[in-house]
Amino acid sequence: MDYFRKVLGAPQDVQTNSGADTVERLCERVSSSTLLDDRRDAVRALKALSKKFRLEVGTQAMDILLNVLEHDRTDAEIIGYALDTFYHIMSNEPTDEDDVSNVYGHDLGGQFTEIFIKHAENVSLLLSFLEEYDFHVRWPTVKLLTVLLTNRQKELQEIILVVPMGVSRLMDLLSDSREIIRNDALLLLNQLTKGHANIQKIVAFENAFERIIDIIRDEGATDGGIVVEDCLLLLQNLLRNNASNQNFFKEGSYIQKLKPFFQIHDEPHSKQIGWSAQKVTNMHLLLQLVRTLVSPNNPQNQTVACQKVMNQCGLLQDLCSILMASGVPADVLTETINTVSEVIRGSQMNQEYFASVLAPSTPPRPAIVVLLMSMVNEKQPFVLRCAVLYCFQSFLYKNEVGQSQIIQTLLPTAADANSITAGQLLCGGLFSADPLSNWFASVALLHAIVENPTQKEQLLRVQLATSLGSPPVSLLQQCCNMLSQGGKLQTRIGLLMILCGWLSDCPIAVSHFLNNTANVPYLISQVSSSEGDEHEAIVQGLCAFLLGICMLYNDDTSEAFSKTALKQIMQNRIGLESFTDKLSQVAQNESYTRAAKKPHLYHKHPSEIVFDYEFTRLFKSLENEVLKAVSGSGSNINGRKSGPSTEQQYKNLLKEQEDQVLLLRQRIEELQSHAISADKSIVELQRQVQQLKDQNALLKAQKGSLSPASSISSDEVDSLKREVESLRLQLHNSHIFSNTVSDENKENDPDGASVLNVTIARLQSELAHKDEEVLSLRSELDRVNEVLKQKTSEQTAASSSVSNAEVELKLQQTEEKLKLITDERNHLQERLTKSNEENLKLANTIRKLEDEKVDAVNEKENLKEEMDTLKKEQDDLLVLLADQDVKIDKYKTKLKELGQEVEDDDDDDDELGEDNEEDLDAD
Amino acid sequence: MSYAYLFKYIIIGDTGVGKSCLLLQFTDKRFQPVHDLTIGVEFGARMITIDGKQIKLQIWDTAGQESFRSITRSYYRGAAGALLVYDITRRDTFNHLTTWLEDARQHSNSNMVIMLIGNKSDLEARREVKKEEGEAFAREHGLIFMETSAKTAANVEEAFINTAKEIYQKIQDGVFDINNEANGIKIGPQHSPASQSLNVGGSGGNQGGNCC
Repeated sequence: MDYFRKVLGAPQDVQTNSGADTVERLCERVSSSTLLDDRRDAVRALKALSKKFRLEVGTQAMDILLNVLEHDRTDAEIIGYALDTFYHIMSNEPTDEDDVSNVYGHDLGGQFTEIFIKHAENVSLLLSFLEEYDFHVRWPTVKLLTVLLTNRQKELQEIILVVPMGVSRLMDLLSDSREIIRNDALLLLNQLTKGHANIQKIVAFENAFERIIDIIRDEGATDGGIVVEDCLLLLQNLLRNNASNQNFFKEGSYIQKLKPFFQIHDEPHSKQIGWSAQKVTNMHLLLQLVRTLVSPNNPQNQTVACQKVMNQCGLLQDLCSILMASGVPADVLTETINTVSEVIRGSQMNQEYFASVLAPSTPPRPAIVVLLMSMVNEKQPFVLRCAVLYCFQSFLYKNEVGQSQIIQTLLPTAADANSITAGQLLCGGLFSADPLSNWFASVALLHAIVENPTQKEQLLRVQLATSLGSPPVSLLQQCCNMLSQGGKLQTRIGLLMILCGWLSDCPIAVSHFLNNTANVPYLISQVSSSEGDEHEAIVQGLCAFLLGICMLYNDDTSEAFSKTALKQIMQNRIGLESFTDKLSQVAQNESYTRAAKKPHLYHKHPSEIVFDYEFTRLFKSLENEVLKAVSGSGSNINGRKSGPSTEQQYKNLLKEQEDQVLLLRQRIEELQSHAISADKSIVELQRQVQQLKDQNALLKAQKGSLSPASSISSDEVDSLKREVESLRLQLHNSHIFSNTVSDENKENDPDGASVLNVTIARLQSELAHKDEEVLSLRSELDRVNEVLKQKTSEQTAASSSVSNAEVELKLQQTEEKLKLITDERNHLQERLTKSNEENLKLANTIRKLEDEKVDAVNEKENLKEEMDTLKKEQDDLLVLLADQDVKIDKYKTKLKELGQEVEDDDDDDDELGEDNEEDLDAD
Repeated sequence: MSYAYLFKYIIIGDTGVGKSCLLLQFTDKRFQPVHDLTIGVEFGARMITIDGKQIKLQIWDTAGQESFRSITRSYYRGAAGALLVYDITRRDTFNHLTTWLEDARQHSNSNMVIMLIGNKSDLEARREVKKEEGEAFAREHGLIFMETSAKTAANVEEAFINTAKEIYQKIQDGVFDINNEANGIKIGPQHSPASQSLNVGGSGGNQGGNCC
């Protein structure tokens, strides 16, 4: 470490020298020290220097450090330092000391990597370190392998492939519980699988799909961070151009597992905040993953199978709802449209579903119409418009029903003044002032009739009202008029493409086209013109192609421009050479080859738009036939003159002519057989046409019968929606209600206690009240007793003088009073028993609430005791009263015995009573 | 497509013995007389039924060529079953079986079920390896044996299904650890022990107390 400190303090140039010296000395220490501690310190010091002195450490320490890796593997610490050192010298990543490392040139790391992997055992050694669980070993190993793969991918892939279980060990890293290792393993696997189908397959075999999808889900799907991005990149690496893995992905039901990731939660707050950049990236990659599975460049059966699964598991539906959702960023929307395009392309079931998707507008419009509105809208982003066209094309690809539906919207019979139709939008685009809209609309229209002769004929019926007063003009003628008026390049190319597509394989359209005598001269003038740049050459070439098509599919109905007439004109006005030259320029154009590559419109700038993929296919298939039609059988022209002849000459001529006759006869026979077969095929074709027409009629009828049904169902849907809304409201209310209820429940217990307290208090007061009553009762009794005593004494005193009747009356009065008192007492008793019962009830409640219980019970018992004593007292009183009764009876009998009349005056009675009492006392 | 179990197979054996044709016959029920040389490995899948249970077979068809040996070795570890194929019209492919078997035993898990297949049984006239020899080899090394023809489809179904039956039996016997996916066996999504909703046994009787 001393050396190291010296180095840090030294000035720049000295530093380099002494740095090299230090590295040398450290290397010596590592190789010569017998003590592990010393070696470990030296390797640690080397690690510290390895960023700054990559060249020195790399050149001098490589072998020594490899030695350490081999022999000191029991010590995790030293291995970790050695691996970090390797990582530093291999890594070309710019460091803090960038200026220093740049001195050694750009690919120093690559060169060291080459040296390192020259011995494949070194890589196996690294892979064997992955068995080590220690973080200080495993993590630097992962990082080192990643940087090695980054520097020398191909070589390292081959080495790892050969190491037994090499790939499997790297795959096991995904299960590491330490996130940092798992995440770095994702980066490592990304490097490992890039462009190597065999490694991709092994990785897939090791359950990569399942594990990666689990990680994506655990990390929060598209809401997750950069780890999700890495996972999606890895998935794409494993699937792109790898049919076997794609098949495995589909068979393993992993498409179904992707589905939940596409559910966008339409939260109001997310609309305001918008999507994070990471979410946009994740969604983009997720969509690209889907496209990888259904790419038109995949084997067809593969794509078809995946498309089917995507419809069945509802993935297509989810994609369509993203399409119609609000708040989705434009680039995600564009990619979603591209994805939907490829999911429906050529799959009848998916196309049908797509046609049924309605946009949530008022009134609801088909998604196709809404998309087309964006396509012909100049203000929409260019890439989005391209995506819409791609989607439209994919919808119509191999979809005769869809084609006829689109064309129907152009025909006068189906015209509905109120709603916007696809046909109206296409016409609007075709004749708009925006050249790009012209191009998009014409290509869209081309796809509506491509390989579909019926629709080509139907399209001829389309008439346009140009301006008030002037007669309607056919769509075909309007296209020609626009073409002849010149205009921007894209407008003209678009129009030429639709015309070529329209006229090919459709003699009726050709004759319509030729009926306007201005058309052919325009084309001739274009083709024969020699001026112009590369772009004009394209227009000229396309005009030549159109002219050729007019010849190829000419049924000779137009006299002025019959097949032969046209040929004559072309040969005279343009010349065969020039014609061929112009025609061949089309396919030679760079944009032609670009467009022919794949159906997807992957243009970045509007100026790149020239050709359409489907048109390039048409051109390829017809180019040679056009050339043949123009040049072939041109030998009809007989330019020979008959001069002075000899017999030989005549003989020769005769022989020649005989040969010719023979040839011609053969030719005639050939042609006759041709004609017969052609007749047959015509009959068959006619039958087919009839069938198609029937089918068409049937479909129309079906469509007619369907449309009211659909309106009904939309009504139904509306009412259902309303119902759902009301239900939701109810739910909301009940939610609020349940909330308040639960609040109440929460407070219930304390309330109960307080209620109990109150009742107890009330009871106590009641008891107190009763006590008082009892007291007053007692005092009254006392008073009564006194009165009685008085009476008895009076009676005894006036036993002789006072009349019995009076006594009797008084007694009666007292009896009544007593009765009243007893009643009152009984009443009180009743109340007391009632309160007892109440107390019992409360005791039950109290038992449930254990906190309050003890106090309450105690109090209650106290109260009970008190009440018992009161009862006893009352009982005593009762006894007393009974005694009194008995006494009164006695007095009565005594009075009777005394012979006094009971009906006497009160006063007498009193006196008597007093007397009696006195007597009693005397007894 | 739900399934009770998922088994991973590999098909191994010398080049040109008909491994890819066996797979094609099994998955697509067709025979392709001229088949491209397999590069690395190719994947195929099919659903079968054993004991009334849906079983998904995921099959990796490997390249027989020596140069791909290092690649194909990576597939042994994660496979539950292997079809070891030789060509009854080519003695050398039979002679190489020992090497194949060693390779397989070395890199696979010990429970892997190996089915020995003598393919091209339709070419009886050109037979070089007797059926008895195949049977003897299988007996000696504890393999199941069958002669098949990818061309006529004879025994092709049986070969794949019998292998699955053997694996299924091993699962029933508890030999395989079905929770370890590295064994090439996976339990279907609906068969994994899902948490069943428990019925709470009535809330305590809160009646009574109002008797007066």
